Formats: sequence, structure tokens, C-alpha cells
Amino acid sequence: MAPAPLLEVHPPNGPSNGEAPADQQKSQKQMTKQERRELQERQRAAKAAKTATGANGKPQGGKPANQPAAGGGAPSRKTADAASKLPSTGPAKTIEKAKAGQSSAADQLAKNQARGLLIFSHFGLPKPVSSAKGDIHPVIARTALQFSSFKITGANARCIATLTAFKTVIQDYVTPPNNTLSRHLMTYLSPQISHLVAARPMSVTMGNAIRQVKLDISGSDIDLPEQDAKDALCRKIDTYIRERIIIADQVIQETAGNKIKDDDVILTYARSSVVEKVLLEAHASGRKFSVIVVDSRPMLEGKRLLAMLSEAGIACTYVLLPALGSVIGEVSTVLVGAHSIHTNGAVYSRAGTALVAMMAKRHSVPVVVCCETYKFSETIQLDSFTKNELAPLGDLFSSFPNNKPRESLTLENKPNLEILNPLYDLTPPTCITAVVTEVGVIPPNSISSIPVALGRLL
Amino acid sequence: MDFDESSSNKIVTREFIAVVLAGFGNELLPLTGSHGDDPCLKALLPIGNKPMIEYPLSWLEQSGVTDVLLICPTSHRSAMSNYIQSDVSSLFPSLRIDLQTFEQSQDLAAGTCTLLRHFSSRIQSDFIVLPCDFVPPPALTLIQLLNKFRTESTYDGSIATTCFYEVNRPDKGAATEEWGMLPSNVPIVFDERSGTLLYVDTPEDVDKNSEEFEFRMSLLTQYPRTKLSASFRDSHVYVCKRTVLDVLNEKMYMDSLKEEFMPWLCKPQYQRTRREKYGNILSPVSNNVSQGPALRHSTLHLPTQQKRLRHSFVAADADDDHLRSVVPSPVDDDDEDAVEPSLRVGLVVHRSTSGFASRANNLHSYLELNRFFLGQTSYSLPSDPENRSLIDQKAQISADSMIGRSTRVEERASIKRSVIGKHCVIGKMAKIVGCVILDHCVIADGARLDGCILGVYTKVGAKADLSRCITQPGYEVSPGESAKNEKLEVSDWAAHETSEDQDSEDETEESTEEESDN
Repeated sequence: MAPAPLLEVHPPNGPSNGEAPADQQKSQKQMTKQERRELQERQRAAKAAKTATGANGKPQGGKPANQPAAGGGAPSRKTADAASKLPSTGPAKTIEKAKAGQSSAADQLAKNQARGLLIFSHFGLPKPVSSAKGDIHPVIARTALQFSSFKITGANARCIATLTAFKTVIQDYVTPPNNTLSRHLMTYLSPQISHLVAARPMSVTMGNAIRQVKLDISGSDIDLPEQDAKDALCRKIDTYIRERIIIADQVIQETAGNKIKDDDVILTYARSSVVEKVLLEAHASGRKFSVIVVDSRPMLEGKRLLAMLSEAGIACTYVLLPALGSVIGEVSTVLVGAHSIHTNGAVYSRAGTALVAMMAKRHSVPVVVCCETYKFSETIQLDSFTKNELAPLGDLFSSFPNNKPRESLTLENKPNLEILNPLYDLTPPTCITAVVTEVGVIPPNSISSIPVALGRLL
Repeated sequence: MDFDESSSNKIVTREFIAVVLAGFGNELLPLTGSHGDDPCLKALLPIGNKPMIEYPLSWLEQSGVTDVLLICPTSHRSAMSNYIQSDVSSLFPSLRIDLQTFEQSQDLAAGTCTLLRHFSSRIQSDFIVLPCDFVPPPALTLIQLLNKFRTESTYDGSIATTCFYEVNRPDKGAATEEWGMLPSNVPIVFDERSGTLLYVDTPEDVDKNSEEFEFRMSLLTQYPRTKLSASFRDSHVYVCKRTVLDVLNEKMYMDSLKEEFMPWLCKPQYQRTRREKYGNILSPVSNNVSQGPALRHSTLHLPTQQKRLRHSFVAADADDDHLRSVVPSPVDDDDEDAVEPSLRVGLVVHRSTSGFASRANNLHSYLELNRFFLGQTSYSLPSDPENRSLIDQKAQISADSMIGRSTRVEERASIKRSVIGKHCVIGKMAKIVGCVILDHCVIADGARLDGCILGVYTKVGAKADLSRCITQPGYEVSPGESAKNEKLEVSDWAAHETSEDQDSEDETEESTEEESDN
């Protein structure tokens, strides 16, 4: 693991090292990597000693993620809160703080101070949605509550919910005098959007949809009377939902359905709305196959999928993720959904999908990702640490068994226990056999060429 | 003409309207009796020297609700509007209060349902019903109730959210039977997991069968693990959808929200016949865009239990129903989009460990609330010199009392654990223990008061001895009179002096006063 590149940053305790900053800068270039490392260690230790004697209540936590390989260093840090909620200052200081407290601070912290999160602390946990600042439309407030209480989850669902809420907001909108709809509506929508993002970080689907809406708004004709303009916008939103989600799903159903032959064993992970539709459609068209649903905590979405599939009459098996190894031998195809697909072909999906894909690849089982084209994101993502989301603690997802009291089922942070539930992970393109979209079945590395081929901006 | 963003205020639809019901307060008689010709408003009775209605109003303001519809009897109109103009506009600047009156007499007060029906044209959005006498604990915010309502009404078609609070059993001897019936708890059945109110015991049910509860099997089928509890009381705070008013308008015979309508409203969620009858009024399939398609795509969502149960029972067209409910049809028809509403009534339970909450609608709770607020504050001499000069050096005022503005306390008066209102005069050597004394009272020298509640403008004569009495505003206790556990009302037919002289002769003097020390 290569160390992260050192930036030419003046260390905070520059003077205490006894070197003038200018000299130091010059000398860093001349020092070997080894010496730079040593310098860094010294600075870190000095800083740790300084802050160890500093005020206790300083919220020093929330500082950067430990790199996974360096996890053995057992860094401890001073955080007043158990769950540090401060966003990071950036990956640049990643390694710096990681080994910080090892020497002196370690024994100080040995007393029951709650430690901050070791990894993923840079996304923090979602804050509770406070009462609306400014004029938030009630529909947006309600939708945000649905998001933050995890009643509406899933990339498609959230996007549809956002667009539906926007339709209501647009219909209730009144252009103030001396303004045009095309210019003012966007500024009016911005606080609404930030309210939604405050509830849960924006998904790629929501982002793409909102971008399209903004494009439509700015393109709306100035001469149209207001109600007509609003109606046109709502129609465009409806078209977007219909074309790029609903009908796209139907095309995917057919295409992926053709990949399912009789007596197949399909494995799927958690619950994807698209995969659910594919399986139900395939079953409805008479094919005989069985499904293995792999599930994981805390969300246990697979249980709901299991309920839906078994009601339809499909033979299902339900396993948890650790049991994957024992069932992978009999699987003929793996069908998973996606939250988004990136330009380098990596699939960002529910945490655990990567494991399933890699396992399947090991056993030469084709992995088919069902994904609509509007989930395509122009960014490149190489790992699931820089961008992720943590599930909130509490009894949001507590479920069976019913005979235990609720309190024993909920997970809570305790003095020496930090609960960490990342929601997403990244499947590298090498593990994926094909991606089924509404424009065809394509290998993952060619994803980026689709928008160009279709002449679309997204 | 607004050039700035403030004009966008008009764009936002108002989400909730609060309906505050200020009634006569017949349980609080004679405190709410009339003082001469002026009525004494229950809503303005002070708790901890703040008018009762201030507590729900500040609760509303914290939660961000701005529109308030305040309903009071016509005879109270001027007093209430004076109060609103003077105090409320300074204390709660963001509230817009619309005062409406309803013609009713004290003896034949209109029921809460009647009031709502009458004003239903003014209520066009989802509404919150609040009594004027609910004192919420700091731990329970109205936002919690509103958020629960917002989430659930969108997610599964819940129609209302209620709030019940737990009550500690009162100390023995703290309350007297002569003051009226002790408030009793209402047995309820609720599901703790999802916070749903399933059944409320009504006086009618008690009349029908006082020894057993009768529940429908469908209640238990839907919610197999419920709790039955009799330690809660209804706070009378209801957050409801607008459609609930439509149903209320149909039920012309119902009079009381708390005792008749809300228990009735709990029934459609599990009773099939009622659901069929009222389902489309309570949850109409409207042109409003619902979050149906989003919910269908949501990964943590399952169609409701009922739909699935119903489909498994109906054998004949099982396949059709199955396919229709489970496989989305290619064309978006409205039926598919709508999520089958559960018509649930939500419930927020407030435990007594999280804070003290109560409704001040009867004398016992009124006294208890005042005592609670005494426990919260500690008395210190007033800071401004004018008020301080009124309070004598040698007066003994304990730390857990509250004294209002411009009250004069003369020397060697002893005040313990009491709330005293504004502009009062406490004479020398008066002993006041555990009392609530409202504004403008005059207590002459040597009087002893123990656990009493005195209405406004009460005059207590010298060396009178009152124990656990309640006086009507304007009552005059003659010197040397002694009364215990009584409600003293102003009689308006005979002359004051003669009638009271006779009274004092008849009663036996209590030689040893019961100065119940804490």
C-alpha cells in the first residue's frame, strides 16, 4: 500500500520543530521518502502530545479515516461524542492523524473515553431533520421525513418520490412579480433540494433527475402563461419517470428475462426493484426457476423480496450473506441491481453486492447487473471509502423476532462499542459479466460510450 | 410591493392549522364562576402565574405552526380578545390567532364535536386540536407528534395521531373528594411497536358492560401483540387529516371528541365494515399526487397486511388479484398507484419518567400543576425597587413560593409553597400554606389559609381560617370565619353580611388549625 502523497503543507507545529518554514519546504523536496516519513512521524507525535495536554473537550474527532491496512495501529483519539459527526478536512491528513495518539495519548485515552469511528467517520451520521428553515413546502418536508426514517429507500424509489414531490411544489408555485418562471423557480427549488439532501445524501438517480428538471426549467418558454408552463414542466417530469424508469424497467424485464432459462437457479442480493420485476415477469411468462435470496443486516431488505416472490409462487431459498459460500455452487446466474454505475464500469450498490459478485466470479457464475441508463454517473469511483453513507442507529430496522423486547434488538453505541453500517459498496468491473440496460446488454467497461452513442447529455 | 424573497411566503401552502378550544371549565367551578358580570375564563386561569393558555400556545410556536383558530364562548369574547391583543402578540409574534366564538351558555355547553362541525369551513388543511389546559412537558415537543403524523400519513395512510400521557398515582390525602371526582384514567389498547391506538374505553362501553372489555378479533388478527393499559390519560391533542372532518360532519349525533369520536375513529382500521363504509371518505382517491409509485419501488416497503391477507383468502379470483397487486401493470392506472391506506390512528405515549404533563381541567390537577411549577422555581425577592418595597422585611416567604407583581406582603406574614398572583395584599401575621391565590385578592391580618384556591378579587377577613376551600371570584370571607373542604360561592340573592354571619354561627370553630407542614 503506497503512502498517500504528501502535500507540501506546512505542518501545524512547524516552528516547534526548530526549522523555519521556508527551509523546511525546500528541504522536504531534498529529503528522501524515508526522511519525510520520519519527519511526519515526529510532527504527529508532537502534535498528539500537544493536544493530549490540551483541552479535553475539544472535538478533535471526526478527523480522517484510517486506511484499512493501517488499522493495526489502533489509533485512539479524543472525542467527546461517541459518534463523531464532524466531516473530515480531507483525505490529505488521512495518515497523519491515524498514528497520532499511539504513544502518549493512548494511555490517557485508556480510560473510558468513547472512541470515534475508525473508518467512515468522514461521512458522519445523518443528522435528524430539523424543522424547516425557510419556506419548505410541506410535501418536501414529508418526503424528507420519509427518507430519513428509511420508509422510502432504494435509488428508483427515492428518485420517483423526489420528482413526485417536485410536481406538487411546481404546481403550487406562484411566480413573484418582476420575475420569470424560468429564472426564479430554480432559486425557489434550491432550498427544497437542500432540505432533501439534509435528510439523506443525494443519490445519483436523484441528482440526474434534478439536473434534467433544471434543464427543463431553464428551457421553458418565457412567453407561456404561467399555468401552461407549470403543466408543461409536470408533463416533462412525468415523461422522465415513465420513459427512464418505468418503461426502461419493462425493457430490462424482457431482456434479462430472456437470460433466465427453465430450471435455472438465480441468486440475488438484498432487494432491487428492477430485479424483483424481472423475476416476477419471468415467472409470469411461465418459466420455471428457483431463486436464492441473499440478505444481510441491518436492513434485511431480502426478507421483503422473499415475501413478494413467494407470494407469486416462485420457489425461494433465503440465506444470509455469510452462508453464500455454501450455496454458490448451485447457482446458474447472479442478478443484482445497482444504485449507480460509473464511467470506469464499477457498480455502486448495496453493501455486500461486491462480495456476491466476487464470489460468483470465483465460481464462474455470470453476474448480470440490471440497471437503467439514468443511473449512470459520470464520475469515476475506485473504492467505497471516499463516498458512502452510514445507516443511522436506533430501532429503524429492528425486526424479528417479535417475542423479544424491542430494546434488545436495537443496536446502540456503548462505551467500547461503535456500530458501523455502511450502506453501499463498490463492485469492480472485473467481476461483472454484463449490464442489462434498456438500450441493450453491454459489458461494463463500455458504459461510458452509451450516452455519446445515444446523443444524450447524461 | 415586495421585491425580495419574502413574497415567496405566499407560495407556501400552510400545512397545519391549530384549533385551540377554550371552554367554560365547568370542572373548575367555582373558580370559573363569574365575578359579578364578568366571566372568569378558564383559559386565563394562571398556572405558575402564567395564564393557562400560554402553555399550549408556546408549544405551538416552538413547533413552527403559525395559524391558530381559537374558539371560545361568546360571553368570553372581549376578555379573550383583550388578552390576545395585549399579551399574545408580544409573547408569540409568529402566531396568527383567529378568535371565533360560539354561542353557548355555561349550563348547556356545546360539545367539542359540535364546535368542530360548526367551524369546519374555516379548517381547510390538516389540523391539530388542542385544549387550552394541556401543559406539555419540555421533553415532548409538538414537532415529534407532527413528524409522526407527516411520516405516517404519507407512508401508509394514517388518519390521525394522538398523545396519551402517563400519570403518577397521586399521594393519598393530597386530594379531597369534596372538590369533585378525581380524574380517572382511561383504559386503552395500543400497539407499542408501531405506535398505533386501537381501542379507547368509552363511558358508553362502561355502561354497557362494566366488567369486561369487548374486542374484535380483527383487531387481534392485525396486531397480535398489543398492550392494554389503564395508566394513561388523553391529552386531547389530536393531529388529524382534513378528511376526518368530513366524517365528523356525517356523525351528527356525536358530541364529544374525546369520549365519542376518537374511540369511534379507531375502529375503521380493523373493522372491515366500517372501513368499507368510510374508507373512501377518510382516504379519498384524489387527484393529488401520492407517493404510490415511489413506495412501490421502495425496497423496505411491503404492501399492507390486509391486502395480502385478503388476497390469500379470496380463492376464486386469486390469480387475478395476485397478479394485479404484485406485478405492476404496464399502464399506470390510478388503482395501482394508490397505496392501500391503513387508516391507522397513531399514538405517542409520554411516560411519566420523561417529565410531568397534565391537563388542568379539574381542581385537583390544577392544584397539582401549580405545585409542580413551584417545584421548578425558587423564589427570590423581586429585583425592581418598587415591588420590593411592597414586601416587608419581616415577612417569611419560603423559597418554593411564587409571588406576582405589585403584591404587598406585610410584616410577619408567612407564605409557604404557595402561588400568589398580582396586586394582592397579604396582611400581617397571615399564614398561607400550599395555596393558590389568584390576582387582586386581599387577605387580612391573621388569616390562615391551607391548601386553598382563591379566585380573583377574593377578600378574606381577619383571622379567618380556610382549609382546602375554593372560592368564587369576588367572594368575601368574613372575619373569623372558618371553613374546611368547601366550595364557597357568591350567593347573589341575600345580602353578603347576613348570610355569612349565619354561616359562621352555624359552623363549629376549629380551635386547632391544621397547619399541615410539608
